[in-house]
Amino acid sequence: MTTDNGYNLITTVEELHYYLKQAMKLEHATIPPYITALYSIQPGTNLEGFHIIRQVAVEEMLHLTLVANVFNAVGGKFVEQKDGKVQTVLTAPDFIPPYPTYLPTGSVDFQVGLGKFSPATIETFIKIERAEEVDEGKPLVVSRPVQEHCHFLTIHNGQPSDTFYSIGLFYAEIIRGLNALYKEMGNALFCGDPQRQITPEYYYNGGGDIVPVTDLRSAIRAIRVIQEQGEGSRVGAIYDAERELGHYYRFEQLKQGRYYIVNRDDPEQSDRPHQPTGESFTVDWDAVYPIKENAKLSDYPVGTEVYEAAKDFQSAYSKFLKDIEYAFDGHPEELIPAVGGMFRLKEQASYLMRNPIPENKDGLNAAPIFRLD
Amino acid sequence: MDINSPEFKNFIKLSAVLTGYSQFHLQGTGQAALYFDTVKKIIGQNIFGELLETFQELDSKAQNDESILIDGLRSKILSSEKFGPIARNIIKLWYISTWYQLPKEWRDTFGTEEKDETFIPSPAAYPEGLLWPTIGVNPPGAKGQGYATWSESPSVSLAKS
Repeated sequence: MTTDNGYNLITTVEELHYYLKQAMKLEHATIPPYITALYSIQPGTNLEGFHIIRQVAVEEMLHLTLVANVFNAVGGKFVEQKDGKVQTVLTAPDFIPPYPTYLPTGSVDFQVGLGKFSPATIETFIKIERAEEVDEGKPLVVSRPVQEHCHFLTIHNGQPSDTFYSIGLFYAEIIRGLNALYKEMGNALFCGDPQRQITPEYYYNGGGDIVPVTDLRSAIRAIRVIQEQGEGSRVGAIYDAERELGHYYRFEQLKQGRYYIVNRDDPEQSDRPHQPTGESFTVDWDAVYPIKENAKLSDYPVGTEVYEAAKDFQSAYSKFLKDIEYAFDGHPEELIPAVGGMFRLKEQASYLMRNPIPENKDGLNAAPIFRLD
Repeated sequence: MDINSPEFKNFIKLSAVLTGYSQFHLQGTGQAALYFDTVKKIIGQNIFGELLETFQELDSKAQNDESILIDGLRSKILSSEKFGPIARNIIKLWYISTWYQLPKEWRDTFGTEEKDETFIPSPAAYPEGLLWPTIGVNPPGAKGQGYATWSESPSVSLAKS
């Protein structure tokens, strides 16, 4: 497939695998920023903000799982011997980006970091979930100047500066690739063992329905759920295919201090973008722990409880990714206990954020660390 | 409430000695500021200040010798007619998230504060009670563990002590 710019995008199964790995990286990359902001909210306050961010974070977990299903369906391998080395996906050394980071789609006009619940943080979240519609056949890639080294998604035959404006466009490219490869290969494209799929019995009430992927139709459906939950069904509407508010607009509610109304019976009658008419609420930006931004283990004095707890969190998070990867890699029944581990992570993260960093001259609190052990 | 004030730091330190949980764990519950305000409001600044000063003196005298501190705590605080019931109430507050009305004898001697009733200071306090990590279970009805995890062992680790 060639765009107007003459770029060859996804043309081989190997390239498709590469894109899907990037997609998992991307879906995961948003989770640490969302849960950091989420748990920085003081208990019992900002209930609106808490629920809005929590729901989006849960849906990102769903998206990660949906991409894993597509990846398994097209014969992707989570653990692979390559050049005499074991290569993994979720436990690969570069799977967790070093925050602050550019998103793997390569948008260079904003960075994503790990910070407390604040107007600036919500502004970034809105940017993460922004949308743009591009007609079929138009290039999905926009050339942008590169100012510094960032973790780009490399586009085959493209310039290093060519990046996707939004996450939705990145997925649009994956759908194009699926269609093109299917034309060429037919059902042989979906050579993955269906036993490896995460089906609803292993994924319970986590931000929408899981789609087992076995053919082109289900693959596209899975990707569309991701695209639409993020941005809404199309530009100019606030709701997605399930008639629920898109992530972009959910976050925007926090900026406006007002809920959007989605008319589920007659979606056309829903609120217009940027003009919510629902109930208003007060966001208490001060009822938040003053956590250290983009915390590293070296920010904490060795030997203190904060240091030990941060180290424990880092190990627990690494183990969580390992458990999820194992479940995706042909052990779907292991997903249930792995997801249960998230609740323990929440406790550990919250405990850190509620504790001042010993001897910190700015009076900052600790924060969880998202690094592989 | 200034969490860097010496009074707050003393309260956390006293709470740690009384409950046997670390200051990190107590702060981690997210209830420390609320409990500080609660106790102070109910018993009044004067008695609260006296209690914390008494503890502060014991603590500096002990010079990090825990047995000296605990002996002092028993004789000067837990056995004190004035401070004993408050200290026991602080323990209950941390463990079962409930402030119990002070005993009648205490109220007769030191004054009857209007707010001194049995109550739970906040809905967020219940799941954070030290009772739960002490017995190694999740607080019933709170702190969800996720679907089907009830078939697994409780995820709460028993408190280290």
